[in-house]
Amino acid sequence: MKSKTWTTTIPDDFKKSFEAFLIHLGGCGLLIKKFFSEIRTKPFYFSLLVEQIYLIGVKSLPLIIITALSTGMVMALQYGFGLEKFGGKPYVPRLVASTILREMGPVFTSLMLAARVGAGIASEIGSMVVTQQIDAIRALGTSPIKRIVIPRVLACLISLPILVAICDVVGNLGGLIVGYYELGLDPQFYLRRVLDTSNIQDYAVGLGKSVFFAIFIVVPACYFGLNVKNGTKEVGLATTKAVVTGSLLILIGDFFLSKLFWIFDKWM
Amino acid sequence: MDVIQIKNFKKSFGTNLVHDGVTFDVKKGECLGLVGGSGAGKSVILRSLIGLEQADSGSILINSVDITHMSEKELVEIRKKIAYVFQNGALFDSMTVFDNLAYSLRAHTQLNESQIDDRISVQLDEFGLLSAKLLYPSELSGGMQKRIGLARAIMLGPDIILYDEPTAGLDPYNTIKIQELILRMKSKGVTSILVTHDMPTGIAVCDRFVFLQNKVISEDGQTEELLNKPDSLINQFIKGQIV
Ligand SMILES: Nc1ncnc2c1ncn2[C@@H]1O[C@H](COP(=O)(O)OP(=O)(O)OP(=O)(O)O)[C@@H](O)[C@H]1O
Ligand SMILES: [Mg+2]
Repeated sequence: MKSKTWTTTIPDDFKKSFEAFLIHLGGCGLLIKKFFSEIRTKPFYFSLLVEQIYLIGVKSLPLIIITALSTGMVMALQYGFGLEKFGGKPYVPRLVASTILREMGPVFTSLMLAARVGAGIASEIGSMVVTQQIDAIRALGTSPIKRIVIPRVLACLISLPILVAICDVVGNLGGLIVGYYELGLDPQFYLRRVLDTSNIQDYAVGLGKSVFFAIFIVVPACYFGLNVKNGTKEVGLATTKAVVTGSLLILIGDFFLSKLFWIFDKWM
Repeated sequence: MDVIQIKNFKKSFGTNLVHDGVTFDVKKGECLGLVGGSGAGKSVILRSLIGLEQADSGSILINSVDITHMSEKELVEIRKKIAYVFQNGALFDSMTVFDNLAYSLRAHTQLNESQIDDRISVQLDEFGLLSAKLLYPSELSGGMQKRIGLARAIMLGPDIILYDEPTAGLDPYNTIKIQELILRMKSKGVTSILVTHDMPTGIAVCDRFVFLQNKVISEDGQTEELLNKPDSLINQFIKGQIV
C-alpha cells in the first residue's frame, strides 16, 4: 500500500485549483517575459497601439465619467450627513478628495476597465484563436505577441493612469456639486479645501497604483484569450476568468499597494 | 531534389499518440496528396511543416534545413517561403480583403502602398474577386473566403504551398476554381502538399499520394500507379471500404 503523504490528505479539489493557479501564474509570467523580449526588437506597430488606445482608453471615457461622478456624489453625501452632527461638514472636501485620489479613483476605474476591457480583450483574442487567426498571424511570418499583446498591454498602461486622473477630477466635481446643493458648502471654499489639503503624494499613489492595476487587467486577459483551446464555449469561460482574475488582483493588490505606499509616505 | 523531408515524425497530444514515425518526402515541383481518415492527423503534419506544432521526435527538413527545433524568430524566414492555406480561410475578420492581402506584403517587403495596391488588384483579378476588394470577410461566402485565404497565402510568391482541404464544403463551381488555381501554382514550379477528402480534385492535381493510416504512412505511390492497382489503399479509400 502507498504510504500517506501530506499531499494525499489535501482534498483533491483544492489541490487541482492550486495547480491551476500555479499554471496560470507561470503562464502569465511567461507572457510578460515574451512581452519584454519582443518589445525590444523591430518592428513596432505604432498604428495598432494608437487603435488600442482609442478602443481601450477613449471609448471607456463615458463609463469612467459616470462612475466617478456618482462615486464622488455618494461619498460627499455620506460623509456630509455622517459628520453633520459633529459639525464636521467642512472636512467633507478633504475626506472625499483623499479617498478618491488614493482609493476610489484607481480602484473603481480599474474595476470598470477590468469588466469592459478585460472581457473585450479575452473574448476577442479567444475568438481569434478559435478561428485560427492567431495561427494565421504566425503562419504569415509575424508575431501574435507583437501584433496582439504588445499594443494592448501598452494601451492599458497608457490609458489607465489617464483615466484615473480624469476620474480624480470628475469625482471631486461630483463631491463639489453635492457639497453645494445638499450640504450648503460654498464651491470656492470646497475647491480651495480640496487643493490645499490634498498633496502630491495623494495623486502619485493613485497613479502609481493604476500602473499595477493596468497589468492586472491586461495580462490575464491576453493570457486567458490566447489559451483558449477547444472552440467557442471556452471563449466565454476565458472571458469570465479574465474579469474575475483581473478584479480579484485589483482588490487584493490594492491592499498591499496601499500598505506599500504608506510606508513610502512615512519615509519621505 | 527533395524540398520537404519528414523523417520518423512522432507527435502526441497528452496521452493521444497521433503520429508514430511518419516518413515521407516531396520533390521539387511535385504536388503530393496527403489523404487519410478524419482525425488521422493530416492537419497536424501540415501545421508542423511551418512550425505551428512541435514534433515530439523525428525531424522535418525544408530544403535540407532542419526546422524541427527552430525558434519562432528563426521560423520567420521559413514561413515567408511556405504558404499555408487554412481550411476555413482564417481571414482576419477585423480587416478588409485588401488589408488581409496586404498583410504579408506590409510585413515582409519594402513596397509602398501604391505598389501594394497594384499587386493586390492583379492578384484579385486573377482570382476573379476584384469586386470583393473592400469588403470584410463576414460579407463573403464561404467559397469566396477560401479563395481569398488562398490568395493571401501566396502573396509573397512562395516556393511551397500547403493546402488544408481547400475544396471542402464548396460547390462544383468554386471547387473547379480552386483546382485551376492549384494547377496554375503547380505550373509555376511550386512544390505543394494537398490534404483533401475530395478525391476527384486530388486525382486531378496530385502527382503522387501518401496514405496516412494507423499513425504512419501506409501507402506511397504515383497517382496513376495507385489508381490502376485495384486493391491499393487509395482505391479502397475512394470506395469507402477503409478509413
Ligand atoms: N491542439 C491539439 N490539442 C489536442 N489534440 C489535438 C490538437 N490538434 C490535433 N489534435 C488531435 O490530433 C488528432 C489529429 O488531428 P488533425 O486535425 O490533424 O486530424 P485531420 O487528419 O486533419 O482530420 P480532419 O480530416 O477531420 O481534418 C485528432 O485526434 C485531434 O484530436
Ligand atoms: Mg484537418
